[in-house]
Amino acid sequence: MKLLLVCSGGMSSAIVVKAIEKEAAKTGQDISVKSVGSGEYTEEVKNGWDLVLVAPQVRHRADFFREAADEHKVPLIIIPPQGYNPMGGAVILAEVKKILG
Amino acid sequence: MYKIFELLDKYLIPFMTKLSEQRHLRAVRDGIISTIPLIIVGSFFLILAFPPIPSLAAAAKPYIGQILIPFRMTMGLMALYASHSIGYHLAKSYKLDGVSGGILAMAAFLLTSIPVVYPDKGIALLMENLGGGSMFVAIIMAIFAVEVLRFAKSRKLTIKMPEGVPDSVAKSFEALIPAAVIIPVIWLVRVFLGFDIHHFVLQLFQPLVLAGNTLAGVLVPVVIICLLWATGIHGDSVVGSVARPIWLVLLDQNIAAAAAGQPIPNIGPEPFFQWFVWIGGSGATIGLVLVMFFSKAPYLRSMSKATVLPSICNINEPVIFGVPVMLNPLLFLPFVLSPVVIAILTYFVMDVGLVNKPYILVPWTLPAPIGAYLSTGGDWRAIVLVFVNIVITAVLYYPFFKAYERKLIREGAAGELEEETK
Repeated sequence: MKLLLVCSGGMSSAIVVKAIEKEAAKTGQDISVKSVGSGEYTEEVKNGWDLVLVAPQVRHRADFFREAADEHKVPLIIIPPQGYNPMGGAVILAEVKKILG
Repeated sequence: MYKIFELLDKYLIPFMTKLSEQRHLRAVRDGIISTIPLIIVGSFFLILAFPPIPSLAAAAKPYIGQILIPFRMTMGLMALYASHSIGYHLAKSYKLDGVSGGILAMAAFLLTSIPVVYPDKGIALLMENLGGGSMFVAIIMAIFAVEVLRFAKSRKLTIKMPEGVPDSVAKSFEALIPAAVIIPVIWLVRVFLGFDIHHFVLQLFQPLVLAGNTLAGVLVPVVIICLLWATGIHGDSVVGSVARPIWLVLLDQNIAAAAAGQPIPNIGPEPFFQWFVWIGGSGATIGLVLVMFFSKAPYLRSMSKATVLPSICNINEPVIFGVPVMLNPLLFLPFVLSPVVIAILTYFVMDVGLVNKPYILVPWTLPAPIGAYLSTGGDWRAIVLVFVNIVITAVLYYPFFKAYERKLIREGAAGELEEETK
């Protein structure tokens, strides 16, 4: 599974990427995650992703992100705030599972 | 307390986020952000020209003119770069050709200046008109140019290329009619009617720039940014799209003074917030992270350990969403109050000249003491001020953190995540 995580500058999401990868490794799931800032997002979303994850602090821009995601037929979810921290990997993967199974 | 979040959610958040997502403001924000690498690297040469160590400063003195050349070609032409990238982003947002939008915006901006003829030497444009101080002129002209481009496209006022002409060639011709409108119009207004667009726009925005440098002018963004983050919205990015042009003009005035060896005039450009107020991230949460380290609740203790490194780099989403601070009635007050208190203190300390006013833009992920030192052109007293501010925030957070800790222990939630972090 390839997940694209978008936040404001791509800094905080890098921390959350680690949390997701750690949780995936623990539960033996094959998941790769990349984080981008909102500036690079529209270019990156073209490159074949299974799911777009939107960081909670930029959720007010979700419509903007969704427009490009829809264009490339990628589903999109907003990460629940309690999942967006170094220990939130499990929370996020549970949400991912709801969409991708 | 929950009432506050309800009110914020109902009034402030929708208004601010709509404002920041407004198409033109978004283009301004994205356009200015693309120029920040040039500002950071360019103003680094300012430190080289005026190093904080006296012996080095003496050695650099004869070469100041040469050392400052990269600075003048980047920071000194800031508005020129910004006009192109604002035009690019605005055109993109309309799904028009970005490069056409960029060059039309740049031409529109340049046409507001009149070149000076130096016999024997050639024709020159004054760089004063192209630096960060002219940012608002660049913004207005970029919007004008791209709106003309959009109008022409929507009315099909374009030159159709025959089939088989490559797409990129056809695209550049789309800008032909808009260019034929934009260039003569500005030329007529500026040269024949003698209306100084540049001066007019600067005068128009002057009150905003002056206000941005007052105590109220620095506190308003501080409070709004904290209120937004308290509901989990990226406050800096929202407020920055409105305030960043003002901060850049203030910064440009400071830099110009520094390059001329004069006293720094303004307190309120962005480094003021970045290094002296947002220590550890928005809400000055470094104080909270420090007091959590000694918590009786294992959850808060492990949160402190997990967030301390990002906090040193001023990344505090883990704190805001992890502790959490977001929608937490017990931590709301210190989250807004601590930045306000240290902003007021810093403002007065700089106003009376105890610490240099900031004039250099340094990457925001540096630890605050280092960033504060560099941004003030190497003032060690800035480091002291940062540590004083950290202690103040820790003291302000402490009683509220204790109350939150008691609540967690009472609810039996204090040790929930201890296992996972081992």
